[in-house]
Amino acid sequence: MRGFPLTLALVAVVIWSGVSADIDLSKLVSSGVRMGDFLSRMYPPNFSVWPEVQKGLLETLRIAILGTLGSVFISTFLGVLAAQTLMPAAVYRPVRSLLALIRSIPLILVAMLMVGAVGLGPLPGILAITFHATGMLAKFYAEAIDDVQPAPVLALDSMGASGLQRLKFGIWPQMAPVILRDTIFRFELNLRESLVLGVVGAGGVGFYIQTYVRSFQYDKAATVAIVIAVLIVLIELINSAIRRKFS
Amino acid sequence: MTTKTRQHPAVTLSSVSHQYSGARQATLDAVSLTIPKRERVALIGPSGAGKSSLLALLDGRLASWTGQASVLGKTVLPGQKLSRAHRADIGFVFQEFALIERASVWQNVLNGRLGRMGTLASLMGRFSVEDERAVTQALEDVDLIDLTERRTDQLSGGQRQRVAIARCLAQEPKLILADEPISNLDPMRAEAVLQLLTSLAAKRDITVIFSSHQPELASKFADRILSLADGKIIVDRPTSELTSLDMRVLYQASEQPQLLRKIG
Ligand SMILES: Nc1ncnc2c1ncn2[C@@H]1O[C@H](COP(=O)(O)OP(=O)(O)OP(=O)(O)O)[C@@H](O)[C@H]1O
Ligand SMILES: [Mg+2]
Repeated sequence: MRGFPLTLALVAVVIWSGVSADIDLSKLVSSGVRMGDFLSRMYPPNFSVWPEVQKGLLETLRIAILGTLGSVFISTFLGVLAAQTLMPAAVYRPVRSLLALIRSIPLILVAMLMVGAVGLGPLPGILAITFHATGMLAKFYAEAIDDVQPAPVLALDSMGASGLQRLKFGIWPQMAPVILRDTIFRFELNLRESLVLGVVGAGGVGFYIQTYVRSFQYDKAATVAIVIAVLIVLIELINSAIRRKFS
Repeated sequence: MTTKTRQHPAVTLSSVSHQYSGARQATLDAVSLTIPKRERVALIGPSGAGKSSLLALLDGRLASWTGQASVLGKTVLPGQKLSRAHRADIGFVFQEFALIERASVWQNVLNGRLGRMGTLASLMGRFSVEDERAVTQALEDVDLIDLTERRTDQLSGGQRQRVAIARCLAQEPKLILADEPISNLDPMRAEAVLQLLTSLAAKRDITVIFSSHQPELASKFADRILSLADGKIIVDRPTSELTSLDMRVLYQASEQPQLLRKIG
């Protein structure tokens, strides 16, 4: 019975969305023809644009690599600051909130703001990725630090290991696989997300989708879409292989 | 000098007392004892008797206690960390093994060598032939030489305990402190591990002090039994002279602390 008001509210919300937005279901039916036209104009994909697409892809790759690198750099500092086991609550709490805030801002919004700040091209893309990825990566790094078990480190101490030896042989081996796995995971997300950065002018292959769609060259847009889809599947395959390796 | 180092006992405690801050009772209550070299001592007592605290004290890891303590001829002071060389001479086998789970068996045992080498050399991975020999020997002694490349988190409890013992042996300590080395093992494994630990120690002239909840098993492999209750030593006897009355007291002490407290 407790679920009833909730169900009612849900139904109301759906009805409200349907009637108040400027959506006409009949439009969906009549647009079948247009949709068919759109799809037929995408076929066959025009592969003559491959050189541009390739150039865009390489730029996307560079954005993802440099963005990840920047994020790794900043996350190392913020990760330490967000570690409960290293910092007092007065430090890690606000840092964690800041990271949560960063995570909640969509990448595309960050990218638009960066384009506004530094102009078109790959640079705003790199900055946007760096900013956006740090929200997640610094949190992961902090967790990797917090998950270090103190007992084995204490054991090394008891056996006569020096401070640096404890770091190298006690703390680092516990953290390294986690950090490597998380960084690779974040790189994969960065690569995937940076594919669309070009749509707002922040560099990479996404730029071509936007250009070709705006100029009604759907066959070229189709090529870009196919390439991106293939790439994402590829990234996913590589990623799951890597993830099996580190656990 | 040589004769002197030969002569000092492995451990001497004189009126050592300790109480955790805020605790109502003393963890250790005027404990005095001498443990000669090469002796294998079992420390029996119920949960909370102070076994772990005593072992931590001998390992230089207990703060704010009073009295005098000397381990391997060197003075141990409250809350003062032992020197690297001193720590390297004292091996400690932890109840929860305290191994690096993501590292290989080999690496974990190799870690036992850290206290004996320069920091720089170890950071660059320059372990000597002597280091590798000690690790190989230790792994052979605990019968794990076929699992050296295995990751530690893929081992059974008994195998992990043997890795922990091998790490301790690779350290080539003069004294081994083992905090309940068998409490995480099933009875069969427990006996095998205790047998292994005490026989290898005897073979290498190492003094051993291990704590346990199991008086019978402990008396089988120790030369001497110490029973701790409420921070006091209530039984201290060579295992060869244990009477059935002693055993009764030991059992009561290890299983029914409340009852004993009432009697006492
Ligand atoms: N860090 C601590 N702070 C306060 N009290 C402690 C601390 N560690 C142990 N104690 C208390 O001191 C007493 C002795 O503890 P200790 O761990 O030495 O006993 P134990 O004989 O090893 O017990 P067990 O068989 O359960 O391991 C116990 O009453 C315990 O609750
Ligand atoms: Mg204990």
